[in-house]
Formats: sequence, C-alpha cells, structure tokens
Amino acid sequence: MATVTATAPDTRTFAGTAWSWITTVDHKRIAVLYLVTSLAFFMLGGLEALLMRLQLATPESDLVSAERFTELFTMHGTTMVFLALMPLSAAFFNLLVPLMIGARDVAFPRLNALSYWIYLFGGIFMNISFVAGGAPNAGWFGYAPLTDTAFEATHAIDFWAFGLQILGVSSILASINFIVTIINMRAPGMTLNRMPMFVWMSMITAFLIIFAFPAITIGLVLLIFDRYIETNFFIPEGGGDPVLWQHLFWVFGHPEVYILILPAMGIVSEILPTYSRKPLFGYAVVAYSGAAIALVGFGVWTHHMFTVGLGPIADTAFAISTMAIAVPTGVKIFNWIATLYGGSISFKSPMLFAVGMVSMFIIGGLSGVMLGSPPIDSQVQDTYFVVAHLHYVLFGGTVFGLFGGIYHWFPKFTGRFMHDGWGKVHWLLMMIGFNLTFLPQHMLGIDGMPRRVHTYAAEMGFDLWNMMSTVGSLMIGLSFLIFIINALRSIRHGEPSGGDPWDGGTLEWTIPSPPPVYNFAEIPIVDGRYPAWDIKRGGGHTGAVATAPEADAEADEPDIHMPNPSYWPIVMAAGMVLAACGLIFHQAFILLGAVLFGISLLGWIEEPSA
Amino acid sequence: MHKARPSVTRANGDESRPIQGRRSTPLTRNRRIYATLLAPALAVAVLALAACGVTPQTTLEPTTEAARTARDLLMFVFWAMVVTFVLVEGALLYVLIRFRRRSGDGIPAQTHGNTPLEIGWTIAPAILVVVIVVLTVPAIFSNARAAGPDALKVRAIGHQWWFEFQYPDLGVTTANELHLPVNREVEIQLESNDVLHSFWVPSLRGKLDMVPGRENKFTIKPEVTGTFPGQCAEFCGTAHALMKFHVVVETQAEFNAWLQNERTDRVAPASELASEGEANLTLGGCVACHTIRGTDSAGILGPDLTHMGSRKYIAAGILENTPENMRAWLSDPQGVKPGNTMVIPELTTEQLDSLVAYLQGLK
Ligand code: HEC
Ligand SMILES: [Cu+2]
Ligand SMILES: [Cu+2]
Repeated sequence: MATVTATAPDTRTFAGTAWSWITTVDHKRIAVLYLVTSLAFFMLGGLEALLMRLQLATPESDLVSAERFTELFTMHGTTMVFLALMPLSAAFFNLLVPLMIGARDVAFPRLNALSYWIYLFGGIFMNISFVAGGAPNAGWFGYAPLTDTAFEATHAIDFWAFGLQILGVSSILASINFIVTIINMRAPGMTLNRMPMFVWMSMITAFLIIFAFPAITIGLVLLIFDRYIETNFFIPEGGGDPVLWQHLFWVFGHPEVYILILPAMGIVSEILPTYSRKPLFGYAVVAYSGAAIALVGFGVWTHHMFTVGLGPIADTAFAISTMAIAVPTGVKIFNWIATLYGGSISFKSPMLFAVGMVSMFIIGGLSGVMLGSPPIDSQVQDTYFVVAHLHYVLFGGTVFGLFGGIYHWFPKFTGRFMHDGWGKVHWLLMMIGFNLTFLPQHMLGIDGMPRRVHTYAAEMGFDLWNMMSTVGSLMIGLSFLIFIINALRSIRHGEPSGGDPWDGGTLEWTIPSPPPVYNFAEIPIVDGRYPAWDIKRGGGHTGAVATAPEADAEADEPDIHMPNPSYWPIVMAAGMVLAACGLIFHQAFILLGAVLFGISLLGWIEEPSA
Repeated sequence: MHKARPSVTRANGDESRPIQGRRSTPLTRNRRIYATLLAPALAVAVLALAACGVTPQTTLEPTTEAARTARDLLMFVFWAMVVTFVLVEGALLYVLIRFRRRSGDGIPAQTHGNTPLEIGWTIAPAILVVVIVVLTVPAIFSNARAAGPDALKVRAIGHQWWFEFQYPDLGVTTANELHLPVNREVEIQLESNDVLHSFWVPSLRGKLDMVPGRENKFTIKPEVTGTFPGQCAEFCGTAHALMKFHVVVETQAEFNAWLQNERTDRVAPASELASEGEANLTLGGCVACHTIRGTDSAGILGPDLTHMGSRKYIAAGILENTPENMRAWLSDPQGVKPGNTMVIPELTTEQLDSLVAYLQGLK
C-alpha cells in the first residue's frame, strides 16, 4: 500500500500546488477550502433566490415556470442551509478553534479533510440533479407524502435524500473532530471557563449537530425505503403517517436553526469586545445561555407544526417552550449591549457587520415570539411573514455575523486587510438591500400571501411589496459582488496587516499572519480569558505566549512534527459519493464506490500517522 | 367583500415607522451610519402610505370570533414587540453613539459582569413572555372549541389542486366554492385525497392542514355576508399557487335557495348548441373525470360540474367564470394551470363552442 511521505509537494508548479491542496490535512488550508466552496454555493443559492425574486416582482409573471420555481425554492433553502451557511461556519471552526485554544491542529486532521471532501462532493452531487432529469422540488423540508414515488417519480427526491445523508456524514464527522479537539487539545491553563466565546459556541454547535442529525438521518432512511422498496412509513394508504416525517424533520430542523446561528453569535461575541476594547460582559451567562438555547431547542419543534392539528394541549406545551427560548436569547443581546457600554468603540467594517447582526437578529427574535403564539401562527404560518422572520434570523443574524467574521479574520488568513472603505460600502448596501427585501415581506404575510407560490393574482394587492422586495434583493446581489471583488483584490493587493491588526485579545493574534503551519512555535500557557491583551497590557500575567508575535518564526524554523498530507480522505469521499450515484444512475457505481471506499479505508489504516 | 382597504393594516404599518423615525434626532459624527439603519424603515413607511391598495386576503379583517381572537392577539403582541424593539435598538444605538472611540481614548474600564443587572435582564423578557403565554393559552383553547349539536357539517377535501366540499347531512357535493349561512355554527372537517394541503380563509380563521389519513376539524360562526377568498397554504406540488377557493357567506334564505338548486340534477340543455355540448362530454372524455348528475358523466377525479354554471370561478378560484375564460380553460387547461391533472385531447372549435354553451347553462 502506497503511503505518502512527509516531503512536501513542490508548490512552485501548478500541479504541485494543486496536489498540496488535495492532500492537505492542515486545518488552516482546509478552512480556506471550506470558505471558498461555501461562498461559491452561497452565490449559487443567491442566484436561485434572485431568479425567484425576479419572477415574483410582478403579478402573473411567467419568467420562471411553475415546475422550475419549485426546484428553485427547494434548492435555495437546501443550498443555503447545508451547502453555504453550515460550511461557512465550519470554515471558521477550522481556522479558529485550534488557533484560539493554542493547538497545532485539530485532533483528527485526516478526518477533517474527509469531512471537507464529503461536503464538496455531496454538494456537487445534489446540484448535478439540475442537469440530470430535474432538481429536488418538494421544498427543503420535503414534506411527505409529496416526496413519495406516487407524486414524484423522477430521481429529484433521491438526489435530495442521498445528498442530505452524505452531507450529514460530513457534518457529524466534523463535529466529533471539533468536540475532541476542544476537550482535549486546549493549551495548558485554558480551562473551559477561559475558552474564547467563539470556541464555546463551536462546541455547543458541534454537540447540537451530533444530537440533531440522527433524527433527519432516520427520517431520510425511512423515506428512501418508502421510495426504493415500497415500505409505507409515511404513506397513509399503507398505514403510515405523513406527520411522522414532520416530527422527524423538525426534531432536527429546529436545532438546525441554532446550528446556523450559534457560530455567528460566537463570532459577534469576539468582535464586539475587540472593537470596544472591553471583555465580553457576563461571560458565564453568555456561555450558559448558549447551552440553554441549545438544550431547550430540542423541545420546541412542533412550533413548526401548529397548523397540523396536534391539539390544544400539544400546542400549548410547545408554545410555552418556544417562548421560553426568548429568555436566554434576550439575555445574550443585553450582554452584548453591556459589552459595548463604557467601551471605546471603533467602527471598522467587521464591527459594522457585528452590530448589524445584533440589530437585525433582534427583529428576527421579536417576530419569532409572535410566531410562537399558535393563534397568531395559524394566520401567518406558511406565509411570507415566516419567510421574513427566518431571513431576519438567518440572513440578518447568521450572514451578517459570518461576514463580520470574514472581515475580522481575513488578515489572519492572508496577512492582508480587506479594503475597509469598500467593506463599509458592502455593509451599507447589504443593510439597505436586506431590509428592503425582507421588511415588506412581513406585510405580505399579514396581507395573506402564502409562501412557496410561483405567482400571485394582480387583484391580491401584493405587487408593491413584492416589487420592493425584488429591488432589495438585487441590491444584496450587488453588495455581494462588491465583497467578492474586494476580497479577491485584497488577497494580492491588500494592505499588509501584521499578526495583530485589531488589538485582539485571543491567542490567534499572538502569532504571525498567515500563521505558520505549526501555529505556535511554543505551546502557550494561558491564565486568563484574553491572553493576548494580558501580554500587551502587561496585566501581570505571564506565560510562554510572551514570545513576541511576529518574531523569529521564519528565522529559525523550529523542528515541529506535523501530520503528513494524505490523499486517502479525498479517495474515501469519492467512494461514498460514487456509491450514492449508483443508487441513482447505474448499480455498477455502487460496486466501484464500495471498492474505492474499502481501499481508502485500508490505506488510511496503513498510513503512518503523525 | 372586496371593499376598500380598512384603516387597521395601514394604521399599524404607518404608526410603527415614526417610532423608528424618532431615532433620527441630530447625531454627531456617526450620524450617517445610523441614518442608513433608518433609511429602509423610512422608505417602507413612505411606500406604505402610497400603497393603499386592496388586499382581499388580509388577516386583519376578521369576520368570525376565531379570526378576531387571532387578529387581536397579533395586534397586541405586535405592539409589545414594537415597544421592545424601540427600547432594545434604542439602547444599542445610544451605547454605540455615546461610546464611540474618540482620539485620545485609553483602554476603557474593564468590566466583566454585574450579577444583579444580569438577573434583571433575565427576568424582564421572562415577564413579557409570561404575559404573552397567559393571553395565548385561552385563545388556543377557544379556537379548538367543539361544535354544538346544531352545527352545519361540511367535509372539505383537498385534491391536487382543487377543493371538494360535501355537506353530508344535506346530500350536496360541490367544489371550489363553499356556501355557508351567516350566523350559524359550522363544523368543517378537513381531509386530503393525496398530499398535504391547508385550508385557509384568513377572514374566517387561521389555517388548518388537510392531512391524508387524518381528520382535522374546526368550528366557526361566520358573522358577515360576502365572498371571502381562501387559498391552499401548504406546499402541495406544481400548481400549489393556483389552488384557491371562495367562501360565500349568505343569509339563511339565500343559502336555502342555493341548497335547493344544488340538490337538483343538472338543468337540461336549453339550446341545440348546449345539447351538442352534453353529447360531447363523452367525446371529450369529460365523463371519465367529472360528475354531472342527470347525465352519464359520473367520474370522480375532477370537480363535480352539475351546477358549474352557477359558480363564480373556474379551476379552483383562478379564473372568473365567463364564456371566454371557460373557452380558454377547455382549449388549454395545462397552459392556464400548469401541472394540473385535467388532461384532455385538443378540442375542435365546434366542440369548444358547444361545451362552453353547455357548461354556462348548468346553473
Ligand atoms: C383526466 C381527468 C379529467 C378529464 C378527462 C376532464 N377533466 Fe375537467 N377537471 C379535471 C380536474 C382534476 C379538474 C380540477 C383542475 C384544477 O383546478 O386543478 C378539472 C376542472 C374542470 C373544470 C373547472 C371546475 C371548477 O370547479 O372550477 C371544468 C369546467 C372542467 N374541468 C371541464 C371539463 C370538460 C368539459 C372536460 C371534457 C372536455 C373535462 N373537464 C375533462 C379532470 C378532468
Ligand atoms: Cu423552530
Ligand atoms: Cu397547496
């Protein structure tokens, strides 16, 4: 069995560079892969959204056919959740968790690479459906029995079901990796109580993924059985129950919301202190409220099902648990505001995005409280009011937060600043475009416009709001273009940033940018929550971090043994996805996939590890 | 019922904006930043004033107690949220402006927390939430109230992509147009023939899903006569957006007259052209899918057409029932409503003429 040697590939040639990326197990490079891939999918999901908005700009338009429209909203939701935002968060986990806890890599570097390749291939697999007979078209929630072969005989739903299973494997593997990393690899002195808030939120997110994904995994297995071997789990004529699918889906789906928002909350909890030069206010409460949100989040799922007819007792119970979540969420917001109080606040682009996240997320939280009340929900459920609500949470909250993170840590990735002026233009356009898109949608919902409709009649009085919404969405698109151009330009031509451009407080700011492969020449010793501040401000704390940041990293390369690159992760991921292709295209692929998987497994085991 | 837009909606839409607008008191250096936060809200407010259009499907014009309960709760929670919004965003803005970095700033005082304060702002949202729960719970139970013994019973059955209505005690079956007497309790039982649908007439009540294999029920008592639009609210496939219906609430006398008519067989064709139309039912294959009592047509895959001519709309509420629209529908049902399950051979002009005349006559 061939093994990879420790000798690095020749990165002066293109092939060598490509090979070095394909076989990399370095968490920082994997972070870059996640970042680039998730932004590409973000763009795809955004284009799908723009097409829908163009179709809905005017009543009775026929720019997009009804069939196409169902594919667009299904793939927009699926793409944004599973292929854009979750992996974008994963990019931050990868870059930041080891750096923030003073580790040289994650616990299982090859597993980390495997997660990424499964994600990439899974995402491509799902999108191939567009050119292979029709994309998934039953909504990102895939309510049974519309997903049954009786109603969708093509492979559209199979692409969706297998695709989600594949992506689930990627997420669960990554989560295990980060939990082990966070629990086992913290630098000496970094107790849980001193962990940066972002690491706390990453850990909670990882636990959420591990506990939430099994529910949808089971649901999808049953769905695949229903479709492939004619079982009747969700088919009423066969004694099954379509509502069972809804339970399985939302037991996963509600925690998924927190999977999407907690990393952004972690990012904001790092950015606000940095730009106001004050530690996070009420650290323990912010951490525990994150855990509380996650825990209670498993007990609220039927608020997505208030109109199913589960009865007044169930509705009451879940209304109460849903409203209860408003408390820890509110607490977080107050603590953020208190963090700013008394600070010295500088408004660089990362800070603008973080403040944008807080202020927009508040709106999403407030409309969430409205939806938590079943009688209100019975009117606005499945209308544009919900579309508005969820975008204030996932766009106003998550996307603003994650963009803030990109501006904030871009210098750490690249050693260069993104242009701050253009960053502010991006922020401004996105802020206006976002509100113009989604604020009117509250009114549409209250005025009675259902969601997931490809058209509406002129006499319904929905035109003006829809036109505004479309104009706003185009502004968002433009702002994203500005961001991409700014980012691409800044990689080469951005102003050099040095290792600590923002006067950061956490460990990643004590090392050069971009960080050396081994991150820390010497593992730091930590005795506070903001070790970098302690050093810079001479707060009486000591520790090995005291080795001056940019110093001799290049000068005398320390002899640190890092994990070898490996091509087995990509082979294994390819095997898995090929096997899934086999269930759709031709059985021969199953065999091929299994063989690849088996070989890579053996290779993986045989490979000398670090 | 498509009356001019009432004050409720716009009032709340508008009054909320000036409150946001209050934030635009003259600020100093960072004014532009806040102004940009504000701009979209103001833009919406201005356009809201301009948008005094009519929205017949609004949730804010209840005509039953159930819908009123939901509306009142919605308005209360909405205003509670507006107040919270103003307080919290106000605090945020205040802090951002007050503590912006000034030249010569040193490292600010490093506060780490304040337990009484944190307990305080844990309790504050908790109180708000308890108030909302206390108002919500009775509303949940009143919406779930069972019907009295005299209630009129209706079965509403969802089909991809139209609604069937049966009055089991009265022996009437119709489609896409539900007639109800005013001020009488009615119990509507929801079923589905295929996938999930949702029964939603905002002015009568919030939605309730139509789930195959389940029987959901709700009780309402319409208080206002008129025609109220409704729409399927659960995604049910390609033509979901075009699955609508109307509820006609009328006086008991009007209802009785309607009922009387519905119970009779079809009106015999009044002209030669119409008679030809009836003959063409077989040629066109209509008999396989539609029931027209008094003829050989006894299919059940499509809506009952016995009194098609008396309905206001065609094809689940999407086209007004005029001869031109009927002609358009019959000449290309897939073009009018993509994906729907009425698949027929292309009809000749003569066949179309006769079928339109016939169907229009089925009063
Ligand atoms: C394959 C079954 C099928 C055949 C054959 C068929 N129909 Fe239909 N028809 C339907 C269905 C299903 C609908 C409901 C369509 C919708 O709104 O989604 C419908 C709707 C209609 C409607 C509108 C009903 C309403 O309540 O608005 C009319 C009128 C109609 N059909 C007439 C005809 C005539 C005339 C023929 C023969 C030329 C015919 N149909 C043949 C299935 C069929
Ligand atoms: Cu939820
Ligand atoms: Cu529907």
